[in-house]
Amino acid sequence: MASPAELSDFLKSVEKRAFKRTVYHVRNDESALDIVQDSMMKLAEHYGHKPSDELPMLFQRILSNTTLDWFRRQKVKNTLFSPFSDFQSDAEDGDEFDLLESLSQAEVAPEFDNPQTTRERAQTLQAIEKEILLLPQRQREAFLMRYWEDMDVTETAAAMGCSTGSVKTHCSRAIHTLFQALTSKGIKL
Amino acid sequence: MNTSEYLPAMDRFGYKITARLTDAAECLPYDVSERLRAARVRAVDQRKWVLLQSASEVFSHTSAGSATAGHGNSHTAWWNRLGMAGLLLILVVGLIAINVIQDELGARELAEIDTAILTDDLPPAAYVDPGFAQFLKLGNRHGAVTPN
Repeated sequence: MASPAELSDFLKSVEKRAFKRTVYHVRNDESALDIVQDSMMKLAEHYGHKPSDELPMLFQRILSNTTLDWFRRQKVKNTLFSPFSDFQSDAEDGDEFDLLESLSQAEVAPEFDNPQTTRERAQTLQAIEKEILLLPQRQREAFLMRYWEDMDVTETAAAMGCSTGSVKTHCSRAIHTLFQALTSKGIKL
Repeated sequence: MNTSEYLPAMDRFGYKITARLTDAAECLPYDVSERLRAARVRAVDQRKWVLLQSASEVFSHTSAGSATAGHGNSHTAWWNRLGMAGLLLILVVGLIAINVIQDELGARELAEIDTAILTDDLPPAAYVDPGFAQFLKLGNRHGAVTPN
């Protein structure tokens, strides 16, 4: 059974990545924070008695499901209130997600040793995030779990609720897309 | 490039990309970091509350189990109660018997005294005579006369 200290340490180790991953999916900081908080609460309330080595897998599964629930709620909300949105002005439409604006506001690692390097790294990061945002949702989810959360194929498949073959396919396509997009922009990692 | 070379290369590229993402994730805005920290603290508090609640449930179940065990031994309880009632009955009977025996002994002593007085040579009225009483006192003091 994971103690409260172990649970705290685990959440501390994953919270930032979980937030960024969720932002890539829902493209809204507030919603991403809510989803991560809900996931943390669900993990603590329902799965806190599990051994600490099972927590990463459980948390990824909970985070995925909570994100999926958020999309479902958004879909219902949009369906219910879509007639009212027809009366909204164009200015309000402008408040919707703007990828370029979002990317321009992305946080950049503070590096002061070389402004040129700093600018290049920021541009590279922006390009990477832009291409990740453009990936299909399942590919993005599989790619981020597999390579960012460092989960193996089986764990990723279990967390996503699909087969290992699907995970391999999603990851392969995501990497191909990212490689081609970044190469075409002259970015080499 | 064959498959064995291709797969590690693909993995390496994936890890290179996510390494850049990790750098970005470590530099979240202060308010976001604080909200994540607050969410984490709330989750851990929730875990502590769940632990406390489960502990109290275990305690209440244990208490209920003890109560149930008491009910399960109802026959023993009845025997205990019956034994207590028996002891109480014996005590009451004993007290009544002691009272009766004491009354009997008192009556017997009085009867013996009455018998002694009535069978004595002196009439009972002599004992109420003040002169005779004075005579008895003086006789007891000097040891000369003993009424019999």
